[in-house]
Amino acid sequence: MAEPSITWIQGATVVDSEGSREADVLFCDGKVRAVGAVGAMGDVPEGAAVVDGRGRILMPGLFDMNAHLREPGREDKEDMATGSAAAVQGGVTGLLAMPNTDPPVDSAGMVQSVTDLAAAKSPIPIFPAGCLTKSRAGAEMAAIGEMACLGVKLLTDDPSPVEDAQLLRRLMEYARGFDLIVASHATTPALVRGGSVNEGEVGYFLGLGGMPSMAEEIAIFRDVAIARHTGCRLHIQHVSSARGLEVIRRAKEEGIPVTCEATPLHLIFDDSAVCGYDTRFKMDPPLRAVEDREALLEGLRDGTVDVIASNHAPHSVFEKNTDFASAPFGASLFDTLLPALHHHVLAEGGLSLEILVEKFCLAPRRLLGLPEPGFREEAAVDAVLFNPADGTEVSQTFLKSRGCNNPFLGQTLQGRVEGVWLGEKRLLG
Amino acid sequence: MKVPPRKKDLIDIRSLSREEVEYLLESAKPFKELFSQSVKKVPTLQGKSVLTLFYEPSTRTRSSFEIAAKRLSADVTNFAVSTSAVVKGESILDTVDTLQAMRVDYVIVRHQASGVPGLIARHTRASVLNAGDGWHAHPTQALLDAFTLREVHPETAGRRVLIVGDLQHSRVARSTSRIFHMLGAEVAALGPGTLVPSHRPEWLRTFSNFEAAFAWRPDVIYLLRVQRERQHDQFFPSVHEYHHQYGVTAERLNRIRGEGIHIMHPGPVNRGVELVDAVMDYERTLINRQVENGIAVRMAVLYWLKPGTEERHG
Amino acid sequence: MKETMLLDEAGVASAVGRVVESIAGQGRDLPLVLVGIHTRGVPVARRVAAALGNAVAGIGTLDISLYRDDLDSRGTLPVLRGSDIPAPVDGARVVLCDDVLFTGRTIRAALDGITALGRPARVELAVLVDRGGRELPIQADHVGHAVETNASQRVRVRLSETDEGDCVMLYEVGPEGDS
Repeated sequence: MAEPSITWIQGATVVDSEGSREADVLFCDGKVRAVGAVGAMGDVPEGAAVVDGRGRILMPGLFDMNAHLREPGREDKEDMATGSAAAVQGGVTGLLAMPNTDPPVDSAGMVQSVTDLAAAKSPIPIFPAGCLTKSRAGAEMAAIGEMACLGVKLLTDDPSPVEDAQLLRRLMEYARGFDLIVASHATTPALVRGGSVNEGEVGYFLGLGGMPSMAEEIAIFRDVAIARHTGCRLHIQHVSSARGLEVIRRAKEEGIPVTCEATPLHLIFDDSAVCGYDTRFKMDPPLRAVEDREALLEGLRDGTVDVIASNHAPHSVFEKNTDFASAPFGASLFDTLLPALHHHVLAEGGLSLEILVEKFCLAPRRLLGLPEPGFREEAAVDAVLFNPADGTEVSQTFLKSRGCNNPFLGQTLQGRVEGVWLGEKRLLG
Repeated sequence: MKVPPRKKDLIDIRSLSREEVEYLLESAKPFKELFSQSVKKVPTLQGKSVLTLFYEPSTRTRSSFEIAAKRLSADVTNFAVSTSAVVKGESILDTVDTLQAMRVDYVIVRHQASGVPGLIARHTRASVLNAGDGWHAHPTQALLDAFTLREVHPETAGRRVLIVGDLQHSRVARSTSRIFHMLGAEVAALGPGTLVPSHRPEWLRTFSNFEAAFAWRPDVIYLLRVQRERQHDQFFPSVHEYHHQYGVTAERLNRIRGEGIHIMHPGPVNRGVELVDAVMDYERTLINRQVENGIAVRMAVLYWLKPGTEERHG
Repeated sequence: MKETMLLDEAGVASAVGRVVESIAGQGRDLPLVLVGIHTRGVPVARRVAAALGNAVAGIGTLDISLYRDDLDSRGTLPVLRGSDIPAPVDGARVVLCDDVLFTGRTIRAALDGITALGRPARVELAVLVDRGGRELPIQADHVGHAVETNASQRVRVRLSETDEGDCVMLYEVGPEGDS
């Protein structure tokens, strides 16, 4: 073997479920061989690749449970290869792909083809989520049991809600039998029709149709009530409003099996980012008020928000370079995930590194029944080396995603992903 | 008076300073004086090309800009935009490339989507004048309204303007209320709850009926055009009811006359909806004066803007 | 910067006197309207009018900003003052008054401006100082003081109405100087 299968990372700040500590870490043949106090592990083994970890953070790879990969159907925007490559450079080692492809993932056959495509094109595991309804049309049940048999863990019609409450009730009653998570893009279509920004003062002076946060609050309220009634696990995707989050907080206190996620952009920006009609900041749910953003950060700290997920939604220049109302919703985020969160949320003191690791590395895997990576002996290698002192220059050539709509394009973000290891392979650096 | 440095574009009132607004209002005066000369034309923009790009039809605004440009001796071309072909926004930047190749100096844009004039401005070296975009802004309307207000009330500070009608879907309401506020006037809104936006600037007070609004003693009542289609979208039960609750009826006109209140309207008016016919003959109705002032103000804007010299890329 | 005084207060007064004499000497049977070109042509016209007394049918001001041909090169614009000519110019003998005649471009613009207002029987030009250097075929009918200058020099007229005291100065400013 020409490639050394031993890696020794020296002197990094290691963060995982056990907290954070300074340590030397030894990977061997895809497993964590040893973790020890800095300098206490003796001599460098023969043939080991030595990595200077001083001043760096060594953490498990991110798991992004809300990603739109576009393949099959819209490979002009993204495919499994470009999407996974972009994800890796953002610090991601596992993905849950949203089923709103063309055709949508609503049958065993589609689950199988997505699984096969991922295996052929992606260096990191991509798990398919399934649709709740056939063709995401909100009328008939998708092949839930068949998809569950192929390992599907989560169902969603994202970016649409299931508008028919009776149908959602049936879906949750049925999905419960397979211990599936029903995930909800919680919105009330009649209240957001024609809207493209948060309903608020920014939307008023831009003269754009509003999407009031009550549309989300009402939908979460309904979904939670059905979860209470059916006992099915409910996951609210990309919650954006303080009031919506409050409904989830109360449901959790009551013991209803509900979890939720927040996106990095909703943690970083508020609706003032839209002031110049920059279509990269057009998303659904929209960026909301400052208080909503603060409530999400608070929710991460107090445990109401379980997961951070990107909602990576790449679009072409052609689609995004138009007027705000006509542009599609979504931002391309993979390439910059860890640096953006570090620059805007960690460095500014909004969140600790330990919470980030819990919410973006461990919790999503736990939710989906996947093993939790960590730096303990015999654990499979799943690691990201992050240098908070270096910078990431987000240029067009840096971006590996086909999406033109990265909100950080043109900026230099504080922090850089220097290395990504998964199993026996080093995927980055 | 200090002349503020020239700008490339006029997209909205928010991006103008008080000083710039005062300058434009002041410099519109000599342009208006030209209208009484035997030759109404000046050679200021000789050899310059002005293109009107109206994605949304509007004969009045387009003509006003056209007359303004022609009185400055510019060559004016109307770019025929077939509204059916451009329902999708993607062709906007294709059109901009065409303009770029045509080397026009000024582009006057109207579009049904908010933000389009700004988008075009970022991609062309030509000066872009927003002639109304979506619900967002109509800056030259605001300037002509302020100019007209100044003519009847030279001291605008403390004057009270009541804006009546559909503020929610109105770029005129957004731009005009802002310029009045900027000039120190007090601005209030009156209209059905469905058409007065719940998220509005804190300086914009609201009334729910005419009685309360009259008690506030407005100096000017600014009527907005109410589109009949709104009743089909359930913003109010019927045009008939709208007229009785929020229109200037014959009785209300009597009170308006009695209190010497001026009436403004951006046109075109909907008789029997926001006003009765008799309003058009009321001596303090400023609607025709607004039209005349519109030309002078647009000349002042065209004179002040300076097309870019370098290619710009957004 | 080298500066020389071309005319002192008395010199300015006699220059005005020469203009007045010249205008009066060519008296015609037409209503005489004096039009001062903004900015310093205005006090020139007023002084001439005061000396001519009843011979003047009207006095006005002309703002030529809108008739200039150099809008492109301007980052900042002149203050627009508007024109104000109370007497009718149709059929009148209009005398345009300015402080300095140099390239002739200002006068070209003024001719456009005055003809936009009506159709005078004749238009004449009166200037306090003719410094030569014409770029257009334009000549003054009434000259207070003539001096040959070159492009690197600047002639500045100061009148008590707009400045402190009366005088005419000549400055050396280098080849890019104007006015």
